[in-house]
Amino acid sequence: MIGETRRAPGGGPMSVAEIEHELGKLRANEDGTLALRSSVLNLIVVTDEMSAPDVTRSVSNLAGRYPARAIVLISDPEGERNVDAQLSAFCNVRGGGGAQVCAEQVTIHAEGPPANHLESLAGPLLIPDLPVFLWYPGAFSPHSPEFAAMADLADRVIVDSAAREDREDSLREMADLIEGEGMPAIGDLQWVGLSPWRSLLADAFAAPERAGELEKIASVELLYAPGGECRALLLVGWLASALGWSPKDLSRDGNHRRVRFDGPSGEVAAHLSPDSPDARLRRVRLRSADHSVQVSRHRERREVKTTVMRGEDLVAERTVHLGHFDLGVLVGEELQFRGCDETYEAALRAAVEILNL
Amino acid sequence: MPKTSKPQNLEPKTSQNLLRDEQRLPRVPEPGVVVIFGASGDLTSRKLVPALYELASQRKLPMEFAIVGISRTEMGHEEFRKKLRETLEEHVSGGVSDDVWESFSSGIFYLAGDSKKPETYGELKGFLKEIDSERGTRGNRAFYLSASPSLFPTIVGNLGEAGMNEGEDGGWSRLVVEKPFGRDLGSAQELNEEIRRHFDETQIYRIDHYLGKETVQNILALRFANGIFEPIWNQHYVDHVQITVAEDIGVGTRGAFYEEAGALRDIVQNHVMQVLCLTAMEPPVAFDAESLRAEKVKVLKAVRPIPESEVDGNAVRAQYTSGWVWGEEVRGYREEENVDPESVTETYVALRLFVDNWRWAGVPFFLRAGKRMPKKATEIAIQFHSSPHTPFARRDTEGLEPNVLVVRVQPEEGVSLKIGAKVPGTGFEVSSVNMDLLYGTAFLEEASDAYQRLLLDLMLGDPTLFIRADEAEGAWNILDPVMRRWAEEKSVEFYPSGTWGPEEADELLGQDGREWRRP
Repeated sequence: MIGETRRAPGGGPMSVAEIEHELGKLRANEDGTLALRSSVLNLIVVTDEMSAPDVTRSVSNLAGRYPARAIVLISDPEGERNVDAQLSAFCNVRGGGGAQVCAEQVTIHAEGPPANHLESLAGPLLIPDLPVFLWYPGAFSPHSPEFAAMADLADRVIVDSAAREDREDSLREMADLIEGEGMPAIGDLQWVGLSPWRSLLADAFAAPERAGELEKIASVELLYAPGGECRALLLVGWLASALGWSPKDLSRDGNHRRVRFDGPSGEVAAHLSPDSPDARLRRVRLRSADHSVQVSRHRERREVKTTVMRGEDLVAERTVHLGHFDLGVLVGEELQFRGCDETYEAALRAAVEILNL
Repeated sequence: MPKTSKPQNLEPKTSQNLLRDEQRLPRVPEPGVVVIFGASGDLTSRKLVPALYELASQRKLPMEFAIVGISRTEMGHEEFRKKLRETLEEHVSGGVSDDVWESFSSGIFYLAGDSKKPETYGELKGFLKEIDSERGTRGNRAFYLSASPSLFPTIVGNLGEAGMNEGEDGGWSRLVVEKPFGRDLGSAQELNEEIRRHFDETQIYRIDHYLGKETVQNILALRFANGIFEPIWNQHYVDHVQITVAEDIGVGTRGAFYEEAGALRDIVQNHVMQVLCLTAMEPPVAFDAESLRAEKVKVLKAVRPIPESEVDGNAVRAQYTSGWVWGEEVRGYREEENVDPESVTETYVALRLFVDNWRWAGVPFFLRAGKRMPKKATEIAIQFHSSPHTPFARRDTEGLEPNVLVVRVQPEEGVSLKIGAKVPGTGFEVSSVNMDLLYGTAFLEEASDAYQRLLLDLMLGDPTLFIRADEAEGAWNILDPVMRRWAEEKSVEFYPSGTWGPEEADELLGQDGREWRRP
């Protein structure tokens, strides 16, 4: 994406009107013409001082693909009372006519008491009539002081369940959250990262002669890297909710988890093993009495291979791209989705049910 | 050729896959084989295989998928794969991965055979059965006719004779026909009749890649997803409509082909007529194949036929001479390779048409298409009536022009509306300004290639964006008198390369006091 980032000089305390005025000025080109503003959504990001540079970079990458008014709130409730704003616009040239198009970013440092009332800062800056996405790139808890009021502004909340150290609690809190009355729809980046895996597993059972095997699955093995628990648990949760398995018991052996389910044709044993040195999710293997389906990704490259065996015979095999899954892509996927993702919610409930055994 | 029995049960029911998440994951077609006739041709290596490779690589095709290429050249599977691999890099956007190619190409096969000989089809049938059992493609086949158009009837007849107009074991069989769909009304009807002897219309996918373009589909979104345009989209408000499909390139190496075709057959009969249909059609009840195409056909039926005696007053043909395009001196059409130095083949067409229905009565539609224009541009301009009365003094409104809504398909996709606004100052001077929306900028997702979109639709069994027989015939029907007149009267106008066409085209509008827009 070729483009330029324009920054308004100065910064500091500003009124809403001043911010709007300065943003308008940022769109003025050197030759006196005015660049267009193009926006399809509002994106509010809540982050802290440490992660701010990385987050800002992701947001301006996103601006290329999902033009938005981005409001980045850097919150520090412990600091001395202060609110200051910095403005920038990411402008690029589109098409042969050379028209400039800009997406805007307002970065607000909120320290002290205002940090607990971020909604009063974000609300007035939203562009009317466009959906509002609220993204927590770092550790997220629905119990944080500002969250409830922020959630009221949002149509969709995007979080990363793996950003916290206590990932099990993180999933539990998310599961509570989706049950909450009047909550906006929730999206989890760990779930988005599973899309290609889910798609590939579904493909492996697309042949009608194998679709029936889904009911006969007796074991699941998941190999992932430490830190990938959320993904692994959501994947097992998804299989359980889609295939009608109810969790019976959970045993832990170090970091390994073994879960037993009641499936439609008997017991299903799942083994979650965090022994992969690299990829967050490395391999998924499903077995029935006479079939085994394995999806595994390449150690270095973003390629993933599906193998279907009947007994010792190779029935089908395929290698495809896993796709790119950097932060921008994951968030981008969520920005395209509107409404409630029922499959995710069912998977999350099932994952938490396993954790609570 | 005798009539073969046409298949009855065309689309088998899909079986339930509990892991398929329709809400969030892309829909993946059923297993199947794409059989390409004319596989050694350019289209296979430049468009079809790259598009299928990208679809496969992005996990949009089923695991059980295969491609079979047929043509007369003797070569083995491996050689065919190697040949495709050599040029693949140039035609895919994301680069080629060796592992993905290896996996994809293990499903590519080649059959050397003469498509005129029935035994080729016996062999093909047996071979496809083998592939079914080895690769699980379940008897589903799509036959892609990318061979010379003169072979279409023979291939279709032989497929029918060999029983391949039905899928194997309850699978489906679909037929893809590349343009040109005939070269006039008579030959189009003949071709359609030939094809329908063996295939049902629901199995036939006539491909005009223009309809696979996001930007063309967006015309429908603009018109039917917005409540504010439709009420003014008619003769009460619209003075006239201009549709432009301009290319900056010349005929290049396609001289011999172009001599036979000309702009009317090459661009107007398909692309321009499709854009006309999308612009003028009534809202379809649903966005499905039958509803959408029925509305398009109604437009074609409503177009007032031009009597042969009036062709000269309503149609202009012209040819580019040498000139300058984008800083480069280019030669004239008659100096191009494989072009007759006295050729009267048109490289530019302008037409005035009327759509005689309630919505469009009396509104002229001006259509133009040409090569070697100053730039590549496709647009639809809806020119509205002037305001009936202006309260402002005449000298204050000199810069004011009627409203124009322009739907730009390329290069910068978007919509612009010309509106009158007050010029800042103490008087009340009013002038026109352009309100521009580049909606290409709102969704910067890399638009997928038109062939990818259409091949995926083909595999999914969705013919919405393909041309139905009566559409192709309807378009020829409008142009037939023009072609007849032009065949009799061998003369052509000229325009220098790098200009917007000949003076005669300007007169076509000028006689009613209108003029062409500069795109």
